[in-house]
This record gives sequence, C-alpha cells and structure tokens, in this order.
Amino acid sequence: MADEASLITRIAAGDAVALRVLFARHHVRVYRFTRRLVRNAAVAEELTNEVFLEIWRHAKSFQGNSSVLTWMLSIAHHRAISSLRKRREDPWDEGAACALPDVADNPEVAAQKGNEGAILRRCLDALSPEHKSVVDLVYYHEMSVAEAAAVLQIPENTVKTRLFHARKRLSELLRQAGIDRGWP
Amino acid sequence: MIEDTEREEIEKLLPWYVTGRLELSDTRKVERYLRQHPDVLPRLELVRAERQEALHANEAMGWPQSDMSDRLMASLPQTATPTSGRLLATFGQLFSMPPSPGLQWAALVMALIVLAQAAFITLLLTREPTYRLAEGSPGDGVPALIAFADDAKAVDVAQFLTDFNANIVDGPKPGGVYKIRLRVLDKSKPVTDALLSKLAERRDVVRIVLPSRD
Repeated sequence: MADEASLITRIAAGDAVALRVLFARHHVRVYRFTRRLVRNAAVAEELTNEVFLEIWRHAKSFQGNSSVLTWMLSIAHHRAISSLRKRREDPWDEGAACALPDVADNPEVAAQKGNEGAILRRCLDALSPEHKSVVDLVYYHEMSVAEAAAVLQIPENTVKTRLFHARKRLSELLRQAGIDRGWP
Repeated sequence: MIEDTEREEIEKLLPWYVTGRLELSDTRKVERYLRQHPDVLPRLELVRAERQEALHANEAMGWPQSDMSDRLMASLPQTATPTSGRLLATFGQLFSMPPSPGLQWAALVMALIVLAQAAFITLLLTREPTYRLAEGSPGDGVPALIAFADDAKAVDVAQFLTDFNANIVDGPKPGGVYKIRLRVLDKSKPVTDALLSKLAERRDVVRIVLPSRD
C-alpha cells in the first residue's frame, strides 16, 4: 500500500486519485472528530470536506515532521473550533448538557439499572470542546502525547495537564449525575 | 508535598499507559510507581472505563453521507491546483525567453511535454473513479477486517476493491487494519467464509483478512 507521504507527494502534483485514496482511508476519523466537537452531522461533513480541500491546496507545504493523520486532525481541530466560535448563539453549558435526558435513559433510570456506561458517555459528550478534543485524541485516536500536542498545537506538558483536568471535570459531572467515582 | 506532586505526575500519564502510547521510560516510571503504591491501581480501571465509553461514543456516530467523496471531487476543479499554477508559470517563462534557434527547439519540446502532462492530469481529474469509496451502513453487505501488504500499490488496492465489490468503511486502525464492506447478496456463513478465503489468497495485495461484525 502506498505510504502516506508518497500520497501527499502525488496530491501535491495534482493527482486526484491519490486524494481519493487518502479520503477513503481517513475521512471517517476526520468526520467523527469534527462531529464530536461541533455536534452537528451536516456541519461535520462540510468541515471534513474542507479539511481534504485544504490538503489538496497545501499538500506541497507538508513537511513530514508529523504523520499525515496528525496533520489532518490538526486542520480539522482548527476548523471545528473556528466553526464553533462563529456559532456563538450556542454557548457551552457542560452541566446542563450532562443533565440532558439520554435517548434511552435519564440519569436516574440509568443509575437504577447500574448503567453507568451510558451516564459516563453522556458526561464525556458534555465536556467542553477543549476537553473533549484531547479525550478523543488520546482514547479514540490513540495518539501519543507528542501527536496530540501536534494536533492541538500546544506543548506536551499542556496536553497532559489538559487531559488531567478533563478527567477531573468528568468526575464532577458524574457526581452531579449521581455517580461518585472516588476520584479525585 | 513531593509525594503528592509525584502522584499527580503519574496520574497524568495513566491514560497513555492504558492505551499503550507511553514512552518506554515513562512506562517504566508508571509501573515502578504502581508497584510501590498499589492503592493507585483502581485508577487504571477508571481510565479503562473512560476509554471504553469514548470508543463507544465515537463508533456510535456511524458514517457520514456516502456522497461526500463525490462532493469533494466536484469541488476540486474550482480549486487552483499546485500543478496548474506550475504549468502556467512554465508557459509564461517559455514565452518570455529570448528567441534563438536552440532555445526555440528546447521550448517546443518542453511545451509538448507540458501539454502531455496537462492531458494526463486532466484525464485523472475527469475520469470515473476506478474503485468504490467508503459507502454503506451497518447491516449492508458483509464486513471484514483487512490489512494490505506493505508493498501493495494504491492502484492494486483500488483494483482489488473493485474486483471484490468492496468499500473501505473505516480505518486505519492500530496495526494498519481497515474495515471493509463486501457487497454480496448471500450473507450465509459458507458463502462469507469462501469469500474471505478468496480475499486472503490475494497475497500480492493482502496481508491479513479477518471476519468482522457491525
């Protein structure tokens, strides 16, 4: 299989087939990453295509200092955050979001069933975009500290601290939903 | 105080320790600390639970619309590509050259090469795709996990997917594994097993083939 750097080289030369291959490999990851942040499927699709258009336009500038996926998610993160800033009418309220009834269960019913997973999922979804992005990069995209730092364009120590605070915030949200994890 | 600081530093590393993406030196540091402080071990379970639900939340989002790649490709011709810019620049240089017999011949040959490149690129941009891209939804077709051979070329992969009427629907996952979906009418186990065996026989393109579930 063609390695990713050579795909980028071909894209830089105007090879649309190479762009299709790259899209086939990565568009689901990019889509899910942006959709988790903007919480809107149509906007996430639009942002995903914008990411690949940007790669098409700027493939020549790819230095290869990070992986292609890291580069793509970095563009995706930047565009998703910009999109959220434009949609100012929807200020983030973590506590309220976590308290929203789930499609399947409300927190009380879920807790009665011992379904802590559903509550945990909802509270993960209720984290701020800043916290949610680092959580997804590490847990879902399985990125190292250095890779997550490259995507978010922050120092490595900040990545560690941000995820630590995200997990603490998660514990607070869970406590509000009736689950005490005993940490921190 | 020092003990608290050390504990916090270790706790910050636990998510990467669980995902296996920690540097070796940090991995050893975490394991040494956990041996000395077994009371921290339950924290690993918290991280594992968080990870599991983060995976669940992402996977539950499903796939984007299947016409996304078509929309992307449709928008490309409106975009100035690096190649077209270079071609224009090259033409510009040709026409600004001082006329001399040697240079005129060189310019003619170069112009022909450039025109041939332009024709080739135009062909690539306008031809129909030679393979299917990520389309479909859970329950549609037979899913399988596949890792392509390291030396397989993109064109061979595209042909392979066409031959088996398959789409890439997810990946790459750790280990370079992709999830594909084979569009077949008969999803019975004997037929599916036979199909996966046929896939696995293509050693020139495929490294691993495994059955998968939605």
